[in-house]
Amino acid sequence: MEELQIVGQRIPKIDALDKVTGRAKYIQDLKLPGMLYGKILYSKYAHAQIVHIDTSKAEKLTGVRAVLTGDQIPALKFGFYKDNTALKAGKVRSYRDEVAAVAAVDPEIAQEALNLIEVTYNPLPAVFDPEEAMQKEAPLIHEGHKTNVLKIPWKLISGDVEEARSQSDFVAQDRFKVTWVTHCCMGTSGCIADFDLRNNLTMYSTTQIPSLAQKDYLEFLKGMGLNDSRVRIVQTSIGGGFGSKLDTYAFEYLAILLSHKTRQPVRIVFDRKEEFFATSTRQPAVIDISQGCTKDGKLTFRDISMILDNGAYTSWGATTPSVMMMPISSLYKVPNVRYTAKCVYTNNTYSQAMRGYGNPQATFAIESQIDMLAEQAGIDPFEFRLINSNQPGEVTPQRLKITTCGMKECLESVARELHWKEKRGQGKKRGLGMASLIHVGGGARVYKSDGCGTMIKMDDFGRVDVFTGATEIGQGSDTVITQIVAEELGLRPSDVNIINNDTDVCPWDVGVHASRTTFVAGNSARGAARKIKEQILGFAAQELDALVGELTLQDRMVFVKENPERSLPLEKILRKAHYSNQGKMIMADYFYDPVNENLDREFKGNMSMTYAYGAHGVEVEVDEETGKVKILNYVAAHDVGRAINPMLLEGQVYGGITMGVGYALTEQLILHKGEVMNPNFRDYKMLTCKDRVPIKAIVVETDDPDGPFGAKGIGEPGCVPTAPAIANAIYDAIGIRIKDLPITPEKIVAALKQKKT
Amino acid sequence: MQKIVFQLNGHSVEALVEPHWTLLEFLRDHLELTGTKEGCGGGECGACTVLVDKKAVNSCLFPVLETEGCEIITIEGLMTPEGGLHPLQQAFINHGAVQCGFCSPGMLLSAKALLDENPHPTEEEIRLALAGNFCRCTGYTQIIEAVQSLGAYEVKEVSVMPRGEE
Amino acid sequence: MHSFEYLKPTSLDEAISLIESHGETAKFIAGGTDVITKIKEKKMSPHYLISLRHLPDLAGIQRDSEGILHLGALTTHRMLERSALIQKHYPALFDAVQNIGSVQVRNVATIGGNICNAVPSADGVIPLLTLGAHLTLVGPKGKRSLPLKSFFLGPGQTLMDHGEILTEFFIPPLLPQTSGAYIKHTRREAMELPILGVGMGLSLADDLKTCLKVRIGLGVAAPTPIRALQAEEYLTGKEVNTETLTEVGRLAAKETRMRDSIRGQAWYRREMVGVLINRLGMISLERITGTKK
Repeated sequence: MEELQIVGQRIPKIDALDKVTGRAKYIQDLKLPGMLYGKILYSKYAHAQIVHIDTSKAEKLTGVRAVLTGDQIPALKFGFYKDNTALKAGKVRSYRDEVAAVAAVDPEIAQEALNLIEVTYNPLPAVFDPEEAMQKEAPLIHEGHKTNVLKIPWKLISGDVEEARSQSDFVAQDRFKVTWVTHCCMGTSGCIADFDLRNNLTMYSTTQIPSLAQKDYLEFLKGMGLNDSRVRIVQTSIGGGFGSKLDTYAFEYLAILLSHKTRQPVRIVFDRKEEFFATSTRQPAVIDISQGCTKDGKLTFRDISMILDNGAYTSWGATTPSVMMMPISSLYKVPNVRYTAKCVYTNNTYSQAMRGYGNPQATFAIESQIDMLAEQAGIDPFEFRLINSNQPGEVTPQRLKITTCGMKECLESVARELHWKEKRGQGKKRGLGMASLIHVGGGARVYKSDGCGTMIKMDDFGRVDVFTGATEIGQGSDTVITQIVAEELGLRPSDVNIINNDTDVCPWDVGVHASRTTFVAGNSARGAARKIKEQILGFAAQELDALVGELTLQDRMVFVKENPERSLPLEKILRKAHYSNQGKMIMADYFYDPVNENLDREFKGNMSMTYAYGAHGVEVEVDEETGKVKILNYVAAHDVGRAINPMLLEGQVYGGITMGVGYALTEQLILHKGEVMNPNFRDYKMLTCKDRVPIKAIVVETDDPDGPFGAKGIGEPGCVPTAPAIANAIYDAIGIRIKDLPITPEKIVAALKQKKT
Repeated sequence: MQKIVFQLNGHSVEALVEPHWTLLEFLRDHLELTGTKEGCGGGECGACTVLVDKKAVNSCLFPVLETEGCEIITIEGLMTPEGGLHPLQQAFINHGAVQCGFCSPGMLLSAKALLDENPHPTEEEIRLALAGNFCRCTGYTQIIEAVQSLGAYEVKEVSVMPRGEE
Repeated sequence: MHSFEYLKPTSLDEAISLIESHGETAKFIAGGTDVITKIKEKKMSPHYLISLRHLPDLAGIQRDSEGILHLGALTTHRMLERSALIQKHYPALFDAVQNIGSVQVRNVATIGGNICNAVPSADGVIPLLTLGAHLTLVGPKGKRSLPLKSFFLGPGQTLMDHGEILTEFFIPPLLPQTSGAYIKHTRREAMELPILGVGMGLSLADDLKTCLKVRIGLGVAAPTPIRALQAEEYLTGKEVNTETLTEVGRLAAKETRMRDSIRGQAWYRREMVGVLINRLGMISLERITGTKK
């Protein structure tokens, strides 16, 4: 691999200084002059007609500036399936339905006003189980649709599954279930909407999709009759994303409506309870899966049908099957694949993207069952995985083109590190388990563009301003882009200034999702930096009387490679270019859109430029009396292409795994008849520092030819194979296979009791 | 309104407060010290941690009138008066202990309370001391490493090293 | 937040006269971690909060010449956790307090507040039950002492009258060869309310095998913290071993009134009573014989 100066270094995160000193400003910290505080009244029922809303008392309350109900706002639909409205008119379909909104001079008055709003409901029969919701007699959630099943026919077929099944020596068939979990961003959701006198909107926001949100809001403003309005999105420091901010939401539209009505800035910030019950979860699913293999352990087919609980409205959760197709079709070499998924409306909360975007759910089923199938075939599950491992050059049944692939190396390093051969299968309440992953590592073409723009300008002193579309949610894109630009331009990281939070000055980007930012924004930044470098070397060639090809740019100097004495400080070149007749500022822009494909009508296509691979292994100890699982040792090997910043990369792996361990063992948003029963940190079991999992992160570098300096994405992979690795280890320890998440002590004790009888 | 007098980040503060305010409300909404975060408002997440007479407390549950005569340290007071970073702040920066950063102020004050009492904590002691500060980004590993790195911890000023300067 | 006046009396008499004059509109507040939470959640809306923090001598841990342990009601969990005396001689209490909430909570939350809050899950209560603690209440009508085991009437309900202040706990002298333990059974390692909390206080005869006296306390096993009296009676006079402890567990489970909740299912909680009692018995034995050596 290329010798590099800045890329590959453990450079501290750029914004860490502001964050450790309390100077970073989050949406909660922002106040504008004259700002009002908005609050939302939610439904008291899972499904009910709204008979009447009396807001008169609330309106009369001193300090209240606006009260809105569903009948008073334009009937504008938003969301992936255009089935959601900012305030619900006519009926509510879930407990998180927004019924009224208030803006007042302080948050306590706004709250008091909510208490004064009287809503009369006529409760309707509700349905909370997607399989029940598919029955003919089930209550209809949306009358406009004739059925609760969404018209999104997820279906991927490659080869002949039935034929392969009949030819298989071993077949496993199981049902797995995954439930609601939620992002738990430490900073709750919020925004401030502010109109100027020309009806231009500035939205102070924590969105992960500034450019797409801008488009959503523009459409909404048009619907409000504001055809000529501009929308500017300014992102504050964002207190965590993990996918939760990948869509636009009712609360944002309500801030817009309230601000427009009052002509004052309006801030809506969720409290923790709202954050738990009124933000979107990871997509729950019922997964029927069968896989087969030959006597010598070669996978013959994979057949999956899924039912997704869509909840009452549709956000990106309903599109997670598009990403589930990737592991289903392409995790290991599997020649015949069939996958269908149905999204079904219920009166539950609705789902969204959450770290892995469907992949953790699908991988839990696939990788749990791989162990079961390997056992049937009498093959060690590690060997089984090696036999079926993906390889460079493969084209998978979904037409994914595998370029670099470190899967084998990942599997082998995990087995080595865990002493797999010696320790597995010993029982004695201790067990080893492993699971692999494939994820998009080179962008993901889910939207029409998968691009990101960068503009760079240099000042007269050798410093560089980088305007990037990439959003910073804590993952470290600010630092990675700094390193890439500094590397390319021979600068120090401190010479680079990143501007990444304002749609008025930053170019377009599809958003921070799909582990794409290092790859796409990184390539974009590198492209712009290369253009800057060309210009600099062009000027320098004249000054040094040399050919461009003879020059190099390093340590803020341009010099002739063969004769380093002949050199010029970068700042001199810049000033020379600027302060001459018909002078020139050194500026460049670059838009990088990866050469990946949208899925076609058969849901096939190479959606990513490259794929991230990894394998996780875990050693657990199970207390058979209490059912408690202790993680003794966790090893995660990831093919990351190249680590631009190993320290930040490890942070992504540690964080992803810890979230994955929660998914496997402790976390569950408990819904009872549509109502969230545990909207707090006490009963939503996110792991604490005391639960810290001992993790060894192994970086496998495959130097991807398409990645910036060889890098692939790493944001999500850490939480993809965690749950099945743990489930497999538990099986190795005590012979119990739990097929629904989370794997609670109750489930283990119950299963052990059943086994004994 | 009632008058209170207390020490805040080394300065004497005299202020009129409403008796029902929490310390967090007073700090954030009235003194505009927004470095202290509200993560849950119910004492369950630790984002609002400040030091009252050297003890870590959840300021969201702390009645403001109980600060009378106390010495309060918030994240804004962790730096030296000359603007140098506290060694813990530097360690958090250097070890990648900060991602989204929302938990960092509270986490740092819990860590400071620990080290002030126990300059050489074991990993177990660190995990116990920080158990009340939730972090969703890091999985805690690098936070623990940052605190552990101050093995020879002394309250000494170090220079600000912004933006990865060598 | 709901607004209130905040009063800071500096003597018991002043505190009592304040609550008398403000009647039901006033509430006492100690560390505030429960009271402020309840006010925020609108489960309580007092006009006056009367702080007990400034009353002299209500916080402290002392063993008197007769071996009676006095715990001031305003003693914080953190003080207990950091007390060498508690760690050495009252290990069940030590086990419990270091796992209550976070350091931040333990720094302000008091043992008295934990008991007055009277939730079935209060971790501080169970070890005190197993130590045979009594408590002292001071109110307009004077001072009285009660055994802790009869203090609780129901969730959030106690024998304490409005206007009374819990001032201290006292724990009778420990018999020789006595120890105990508390296990908080949880999903996570910290920041938890227990799925089940079980404590044991065990005194052995000189043979270091026979149970001379045992107290077993259970949290989240009934609407209030309870003692497993039949189980205690069974073990008294018998050798403490796996066999007898299994029977103790079985009997104790019968004395519970478990229910399903989001934190745990009744059958599982019942099942865990036996598991944990067995472990507590073994830990207690170890601790006694360990200290003997």
